[in-house]
Amino acid sequence: MKLKFSNSPVGTHVKLFTAAVITLFFVRLIIGRSDSLLFEILLVVILFFISFFLLLMLINYQRRQATVPLSLVMNLGILNAVAFLVITFAHVITSSLLDNVNQMIRDPGLVYNIVSILYVLIFIGYFSYVLIVLRHLFILNQIKNAKIYFNTMVLFFIMAALASQFFISENLSFIENTFLIVSVLLMIFNSVRISWIAFLSKKEKFYLLILSVVISILFAVNLGNTSGDGIHNQVLNSFSPSINSFTTTVMLYGAIYFFVLFFTTLFHLPTAEAYDRKAQEVSSLQYFSKLITEVLDFNVLAETVTDITVKVSHSNAAWILWRDSEQFVTLANKNIGYVDSEELNKIILNKINFEKITSTSTISLSDERDREGKPTIFELLSVSPIRSQGVVKGLLVAAKIEGRLFTKDDLSAIETFSDYASVAIENAQLLEESIEKERLEKELDVAREIQKKILPDREPAYDKLQISSVFIPAFEVGGDYYDFFELEDKKLGFVIADVSGKGISAAFVMAEVKGIFESLSKTFEKPKDILISANEILKSTLDRKTFVSAAFGIIDLEKENLCIARAGHCPVLLLRDKKTIQIKPSGIGLGLIETEYFTENMEEFKIDLKNNDTIILYTDGITEAKNDKLEDFGEAYFKDIILEGSDNTALELTNKIIKEVTLFSQNYSQYDDITLVIFKFGFRQSAKDGQDKQKISAEDGLAYG
Amino acid sequence: MAEFNTSVLDKGEISVINLKGYLDAHTAPKLENNFTQLIDQKRFNIVVNFEELAYISSAGLGVFMAYIEKIRENHGDIKLSNMSEKVYNIFDLLGFPLLYEIYKTEDEAVKKFVGE
Repeated sequence: MKLKFSNSPVGTHVKLFTAAVITLFFVRLIIGRSDSLLFEILLVVILFFISFFLLLMLINYQRRQATVPLSLVMNLGILNAVAFLVITFAHVITSSLLDNVNQMIRDPGLVYNIVSILYVLIFIGYFSYVLIVLRHLFILNQIKNAKIYFNTMVLFFIMAALASQFFISENLSFIENTFLIVSVLLMIFNSVRISWIAFLSKKEKFYLLILSVVISILFAVNLGNTSGDGIHNQVLNSFSPSINSFTTTVMLYGAIYFFVLFFTTLFHLPTAEAYDRKAQEVSSLQYFSKLITEVLDFNVLAETVTDITVKVSHSNAAWILWRDSEQFVTLANKNIGYVDSEELNKIILNKINFEKITSTSTISLSDERDREGKPTIFELLSVSPIRSQGVVKGLLVAAKIEGRLFTKDDLSAIETFSDYASVAIENAQLLEESIEKERLEKELDVAREIQKKILPDREPAYDKLQISSVFIPAFEVGGDYYDFFELEDKKLGFVIADVSGKGISAAFVMAEVKGIFESLSKTFEKPKDILISANEILKSTLDRKTFVSAAFGIIDLEKENLCIARAGHCPVLLLRDKKTIQIKPSGIGLGLIETEYFTENMEEFKIDLKNNDTIILYTDGITEAKNDKLEDFGEAYFKDIILEGSDNTALELTNKIIKEVTLFSQNYSQYDDITLVIFKFGFRQSAKDGQDKQKISAEDGLAYG
Repeated sequence: MAEFNTSVLDKGEISVINLKGYLDAHTAPKLENNFTQLIDQKRFNIVVNFEELAYISSAGLGVFMAYIEKIRENHGDIKLSNMSEKVYNIFDLLGFPLLYEIYKTEDEAVKKFVGE
């Protein structure tokens, strides 16, 4: 029977069912009994519709209920027990209270009629529910066209039932038998394929085993009770032999199904544990892979790894032995204390080469003693590497107590989890790195911003002095600083400095240094005194490993001289008459030592300036600029270029030097800030004069040479 | 930047730190660790051998400053040896030869300790 009305509203089914039941009452109570074929057919039709609508209602009900198969089976058990009681009760009552049952049936009273109708309805309800449950279990197998198989079988049940009522004569009984045989074959066919029990846990399988044997017996008992000449048969037959026959067939199907179910479950039991384990592994893995993509906190992941490892490998304890820089620490310990795990860690590291371990291995602790000399609680350890970027970062350790062994499955589960942990940790680390990188870049932006604000935005202008300066920041702010101070009496103070270290901390020191020179240049007249005071301040404010190299000079444009003091900075170069003079008075870097010692070692250099004297200040970003062969730009090359540019203006020379440095290091990233400040003394001349001058200089050069 | 490695060798009362590669702001913590550990072990007589050091940045120089005070307070010293000319020039610019004893060879530096 195709349940084509199954999509119609439930209300309609209820109405139609109620209508059919009322019709049954009406027919039985008003018309009473008749032996005519028409009456028989009418009853059969009514009973069919009652069953049909009841089935539809039950199917709809079933669909809305997300029932587990086991509870359905349980329901069947209860229903069968009830049916058993009803049948037994009917037998007892009828046999003790009614003397002549046959008489009763032939000439029923009103009470008997109502009771018998209810009795029939009970059994219609009974076989409908049994059919629905078995149908549901059958569909659970998820085989193709399950509904068609089932409905075909039910159709044969109906045919057999009808045949038993309408083809009763001897020579036609083969029709009934044929339908019956086909029905039984279909029952068996539909009972052998039971796959849903595979998804049950071991405990549930035990439960099902007991239930199925009980239910199978109940079906068989009920089947036995309803055969023969009992009141049950007589009542049902008095309505329609078909309904009786159908009930019996359904009972037979139930008995067969649960009989088969019993044995199927029995055969599934030995593998139940393995199945349980696999199921847990699969669900753990699913959970874990979800976690890997969602949880980015390394510690949470570690906890999860050990948690699942304990469960899946049936271990008593688990933890991660993690290498944190040079130290080994315990992470995410489960069922074991820190002290105990640290103790075992020592044993593990003794027996295993941490860096070289490639796969899961086991360590027996049976010969080991704990701190108090007693045997350790754990007897067996399994150790798996957790790798990231090809390097062993840690070990996933699982421990079992005495008398327990790691099975092959346990070990493969642990191995799987250590692999997962590796992936997860790699992810977490990559994320951390990219966050760190972003943070660093933000920090560097801030540092660059500070540096930009600290450095002078333009050079001061003088008639007798060309000034040109260039600053090229490195990716990581290098800590270069230079500045000009326009002092009284046509004096120009200048400073070039390099803070040790890089990044934002260097930028902050740079800001401090600017403040110091800004104020000291107004307080003191001599570069030496300025540097000594700067050292005093910086020695007390900078941390011990930070220092500043600096050169401070004053050009007196009135008296035409240059005075320079140096505190650990690169020498200042003076280009005069086609020669470079290295100005390198003694002086220790700022912030390195106490002022007293600093002062002792501080010299000052003073020189009168001549026309065309070129003063070159630079930081080691220039001389230490590297090419792709990691060769330095170097001082010698630097001086060569300066010499070549003897006749250039300050700006031209600056550009020339920067061009050369850039060309030299074009295949290598700039590692340090580059600062270059050039002063050229003397009145600016016209281009023509410049050319004339060039000749003279060249001759001068020869004369010197 | 490039690699940096250190190794610490104990020669009696004196510990020798060998430097190799590029010492800059990024690799400096390695050397800092060496110093911290030696100070923890109360080994204050330290020779640093620069033989295999290719480059030192200002941050690298800072490492020596960070520990010298503590070491000298404990009547120890950091003596430097086997510097290449390039590395020496960097030390020299900053005035380090005024702050540290710098020797041509490790033996000389070690002997200086023993002599004391």
